[in-house]
Amino acid sequence: MNAALDPATLAAASAAPAASPAASPAPAASPAPRPAAPEPIDWADKNYLVVDDFVGVRQLLRESLRSLGAKNIDQASSGGEAVGLLARTRYDVVLCDYNLGDGKNGQQVLEEARVRNLVNPSTVWLMVSAEKSVESVMGAAEQQPDAYLIKPITEGVLLTRLNRVWHKKQVFRMIDQAVFEKDTLRAAKLCDAQIEINRAHEIDLLRMKAKLLERSGEPARAREVYERVLEQREYQWARAGIARIRLANGEFEQARQAFQNVIAENRYYIEAYDQLALAWHNLGKPEEACAILERAAKLSPNSVQRQKSLGQAALKLGNLALAEKAFRKCIAIGEYSITKTPDAYLGLARVCGQKNDPKEAQALLQSAQREFGHEHPDLELRAKITEGLVWHESGDYRRARKAGDELEALLASGAERPDSATCLEMATLLFAVGVKDAPVELLCWVVRNNHDNPLLVDEVQKIFDKGRMGEEGVALIRSVRKEAADLMNQGVLLWKTGKLGEAVEWMRNARKATPHNQRILFNAAQILVSHMQQHGYDEGLAGEAHEVLHHVDRLLPGQQRFAQLMEQLAALKPVAQGAIEEVA
Amino acid sequence: MDDTLTDTPHAQELFMFLAATAHDMKNSISVLSGTLERLLDAKAPEGARAALALSDPAYPQMAHMLYQTKRLNDNLMQLLALYKQVGTPAYPFDMQPLLLAQLVEQVAALERVLLASRGIRLELDYDPDLVWHLDEDLIVGVLSHAINNAIHYTGDVVRLAIREVDGWLELRVEDNGPGYPPALLRAGTVAARDAAGGVNFLTNSAGLGLYFSSEVAKMHRHRDRRGEVRLENGGMHGGGCFVLRLP
Repeated sequence: MNAALDPATLAAASAAPAASPAASPAPAASPAPRPAAPEPIDWADKNYLVVDDFVGVRQLLRESLRSLGAKNIDQASSGGEAVGLLARTRYDVVLCDYNLGDGKNGQQVLEEARVRNLVNPSTVWLMVSAEKSVESVMGAAEQQPDAYLIKPITEGVLLTRLNRVWHKKQVFRMIDQAVFEKDTLRAAKLCDAQIEINRAHEIDLLRMKAKLLERSGEPARAREVYERVLEQREYQWARAGIARIRLANGEFEQARQAFQNVIAENRYYIEAYDQLALAWHNLGKPEEACAILERAAKLSPNSVQRQKSLGQAALKLGNLALAEKAFRKCIAIGEYSITKTPDAYLGLARVCGQKNDPKEAQALLQSAQREFGHEHPDLELRAKITEGLVWHESGDYRRARKAGDELEALLASGAERPDSATCLEMATLLFAVGVKDAPVELLCWVVRNNHDNPLLVDEVQKIFDKGRMGEEGVALIRSVRKEAADLMNQGVLLWKTGKLGEAVEWMRNARKATPHNQRILFNAAQILVSHMQQHGYDEGLAGEAHEVLHHVDRLLPGQQRFAQLMEQLAALKPVAQGAIEEVA
Repeated sequence: MDDTLTDTPHAQELFMFLAATAHDMKNSISVLSGTLERLLDAKAPEGARAALALSDPAYPQMAHMLYQTKRLNDNLMQLLALYKQVGTPAYPFDMQPLLLAQLVEQVAALERVLLASRGIRLELDYDPDLVWHLDEDLIVGVLSHAINNAIHYTGDVVRLAIREVDGWLELRVEDNGPGYPPALLRAGTVAARDAAGGVNFLTNSAGLGLYFSSEVAKMHRHRDRRGEVRLENGGMHGGGCFVLRLP
């Protein structure tokens, strides 16, 4: 289902006027097949966009739409033109061919439209293709259209599919709204309610519910739902769901076998490859993981994300030829894709460095910054790290040291720190080129924000060891962990002794010192919720709690405490008069 | 059979070329059948069909063109599916729950104009609220091919009857024509029994359709059971019966 929903447009789109029965031609067959849903929809007043590179097909589809009564029909002959029109007009229905010749393909147009919010959640998107595409099998692409249609498309087929998609969207509307509000537990309950009244959509609703429970950190309940589905039918996505839960639970070997079975049953269930690679990785077999990613990339070669993962896995293994191929392909397909990423440029620069071509590496780093700098504020830092690594790996220690010094200056100029992985990478490089203070500061920052994550703390210790600061590292880590723990415990103590106002204030300060510490963030949100539970709803505090929770969710999505706190928070909110009815 | 089709660079190029060409052919067929359907529809407003069909000699000719265009489309679809190894895990099989009402609606919408142009009645007998698990594109392909075929051989009626029998979904396409010739009935028996035997009857397009249908049927599995196809004569109207059974 659509993850990105806009509540404002949701209400507007649902206000469909009563239909004129004349719009739908009665089938000549007798007796007429009973339509799936009783109330007809007026397709005449909607805005349509038809995208196909073949003028004959565009004309044909336009004629078909006209006989449904449609008046407002725009046309585009290429993906680029389609995006231009989508940016200008809000369409109710998009009929888009998958294969659009040179430039963006239909899937890329869909991705861009959804990511840039060029379409409403209520927009019906029908993807048209000449034959069954790999992307149409669930799990191959992140963004799915509402339906895939295979040519030739007759008027009757078009109408039946439009109606069907419309009704399905009604079934999922409230659920999508709750997902948009990140209240996944409420969304899961709404699935149950819909199953009661829509038996025909039971399987789809169960699938949605299981996914929501997984995302809410409720794997046991999600697993029950998957098992309920499997009692009815052997759905590979349910098998994959259970395997995913086992993987998260540390049962790597069982998960590996389960994912391999899923792939044996359906070779195009691409999502299973990513998970299988993860299982291999956790089993300590990075070569196997890389080989699986390579197979997946071959089956679904136009996925930016997949080529990037393959490139990074191959680079880690030192398979430069494979890494280079994947990164180059990633950059090439990214040209027309909204999902294009600077990671491919940084990765390829590393490959060039290791192949002793620092010149191309520099050129790549420059184009990455030119192309992505405006939307990735941390790119300057990351490009500088890569530059240092490239010089270091190509043996130019003088230039590597210079990059290290520049990095140190960059760090000193701002208080913001990138994510933990980047910090660790940076500290490794800085130690390697002989800088001392900056990496120590970075490592302490990482520990302060992850004081109860033993795996990460171990990694930090190893970097200290490599920088020949093992003993200092042990002492530093101990004191920083204690500092963070004390900060948290004092807040919890205030909360438990009922000093809620003081606890809220304390946690605000604690958050300033450890802005990415998940334990502290969750406790801060918990204390804000408790405050409102005892002293009543307060818009300011609720907004603060939302902000804190969304920040944790960005750091690590799918945690149980996030879902629970979001639900508690939603329950606190006084119901606005008529708000529910307006959406319904 | 694993990745052989797309392994070598040459095979990859050939695959891309075939895919692009098939795409192009589908576009042409779309325009052909779409235009014919529109022309036939415009010439035959509700009720006046029979009279017009008699008075305008172009009308039956256009109806025949539409029939041939649909045959072309069916064959192309079946060849593409075979090329993508339908019947094996290499095919992007996509099972979904579907209301019979929606399945039948789809098939009826595909066949409406051709049926009307030939003055043939489509009889429907099914439980619209029943949900079954199937690959819609493939099953619609099989059913519409069977109906196109029946349209060519029937007298004046084609019947699509779907019901649940002992945990199976039985889909029957019946007509009141002369029925299947003995050679095809034998091929149908082979198709029902085993895929490997299918090669024997791959001598004409009837064989292709039957082979495709039985491969599609077999992709539908539930517990220990697999779908199957068979041909028989008789049924409600005493003509040919195409029977698809899905677990």
